[in-house]
Amino acid sequence: MLGFRLSAQTPPEATRVNDVVLTRLEHIYEIDPSLMTEHVRQQQIPNWDMRRIVDSRWEHLHWMQDHFAERALSGEELLAEIEKEA
Amino acid sequence: MATAIADSVVDELVAICGEEHVFTGRSALFNRARVPAPFPAHRWDAHIPQAVVLPVSAQQVSEVVKLANARGIPVVPRAGGTGLTDGAVPLRGGILVDVKLMNQIKEIDLDNRTVTVGPGINMLKLSEELRRYGFIYPDNPASYPCSLVGGRIGTSGWSLIGGRFGHARDLVISFEIVLPTGEIIRVGDGGGPKVRKSSSGFQLKHLFMGHQGTLGIVTEATLELVKHPEAEFSMFYAFDNYMDAWRTCGELARSSVATLAGVVLFDEWKVAYLRRDDEAYIPQDDSAKAVVAAAAYGFEDELRAGAKRLLRIGQASGGKYMGDEISQGDWWSRHDRYATPQHGRTRDGQVALMSWHCEDAAIPYPELPKVREKWHAIAAGLRERFEMFDDWGMFAYTNGAFKPWGDYLTEIDIGIWESKWDEESWEAWVDAKRELARVSIEHGGSITACHGSCREGEVDLVPLEMGGGFEVMKKLKRVLDPNNIMNPGKYLLDQAYEEE
Repeated sequence: MLGFRLSAQTPPEATRVNDVVLTRLEHIYEIDPSLMTEHVRQQQIPNWDMRRIVDSRWEHLHWMQDHFAERALSGEELLAEIEKEA
Repeated sequence: MATAIADSVVDELVAICGEEHVFTGRSALFNRARVPAPFPAHRWDAHIPQAVVLPVSAQQVSEVVKLANARGIPVVPRAGGTGLTDGAVPLRGGILVDVKLMNQIKEIDLDNRTVTVGPGINMLKLSEELRRYGFIYPDNPASYPCSLVGGRIGTSGWSLIGGRFGHARDLVISFEIVLPTGEIIRVGDGGGPKVRKSSSGFQLKHLFMGHQGTLGIVTEATLELVKHPEAEFSMFYAFDNYMDAWRTCGELARSSVATLAGVVLFDEWKVAYLRRDDEAYIPQDDSAKAVVAAAAYGFEDELRAGAKRLLRIGQASGGKYMGDEISQGDWWSRHDRYATPQHGRTRDGQVALMSWHCEDAAIPYPELPKVREKWHAIAAGLRERFEMFDDWGMFAYTNGAFKPWGDYLTEIDIGIWESKWDEESWEAWVDAKRELARVSIEHGGSITACHGSCREGEVDLVPLEMGGGFEVMKKLKRVLDPNNIMNPGKYLLDQAYEEE
């Protein structure tokens, strides 16, 4: 069974989002590395770990929301209903 | 650093609490020397207790307090230690009473809808236990996963969903407290521990909430149970200018939708800050300059009706619905703000490790735009002089319990590069805090809606805010704590003894 492959875990080239932010993976943003040279250095993170961190964040948010309500209503669905009712 | 406590006192503490619950080692003392609020790190060893005790009963707390009172030793109560105004910081050393072992659920009364607990229990853990019965305890500060019930009483804190369910003062029905002379009393509205409304005598519950540990140590509390909500609705709208967002915020707050739990206004500085570091805001259109959020809880049928009313206000406001992902995800993250990343930017944009601090005034709605301008000017002055400060923008949260209109918990978040503290920057920070507080009072507000106001700088203006009430505070302190042993040095209450 094939394990870790460096090429599969190396983030792709960055695309600039704005003056201070880049992106390499969909919906995942990073600070422009040129702004992390003096006081804090940016680290290289393999793709699987980056996705794990982001997924963990969402898992945490769902877990937190569950403390306060059984389910969350969708504003997008309610807006569509409002439009239909108009 | 404070000198070591006498062996005879340690022996007496051991006799009261048991050897396993008394600590005089460095790690036990250092870990209880501060709270998450910015502190003068260059003088980190200024406020270290001399002994820590972890009692397990009201009787033990009472005996510790009586010992301290007899010997004239300061006593400082501490729960989660997550407060932001130094209530749990031992300014004069002494015995620190950590209540974390008093974390039992003593009774769940489904008929009266109450739960009785020790002060060391955390709201998140409590609600997880209550879920088995279909209930929660809906006190929801930014420190929900880490603050404790005893600290919430000592602070009289604010809750994110207080507009629907009430804040700490509304959710605590009664509690047992050890007075500075060691007597154990129970305070509530009056009558038995589960009575919500009484007209008997003075309303002592409010006196013993929010005193930052200067009037006693809570040892048990009876709290409200609330049915675990069936559904939640949250919505975020973006605006191209602050004033339209402010008007919409006010309209939502005054909507009288019964399920509404709170409305939040983000100003231009806050949105600019989020657009550089927060994945939810980075992809937003450049025109987004201010944001309004609202959240509601209830049964799904009532919530759907209320949510549509709120959405209609949002749609008519000229704002733009920001989508479900941000509306839900950002709201959910507000239950746990102590977990946010902590970095800021130097003046040339470089990333630096900074800790978060927020001022938390209560400001009347009409005054919000002016206060915002004055507060940012104060923050800009700080940053101009010291690169270690970064203005992270302002939020305004509805502040009223059950009726979320009127005044707002108004916070300015300031990132602080704490390893850069020195005497000059600390003094500038204290001056800035004093000026922020002065603006709040000048605009008809209060220095604090949530944290308390006994830190350096802001505390100087407490007599101005309280007026004649401050004289009453001093008289009460003197009567209840004749030897000034209970958390001395806080709230300028030493003045009560100077005037002897």
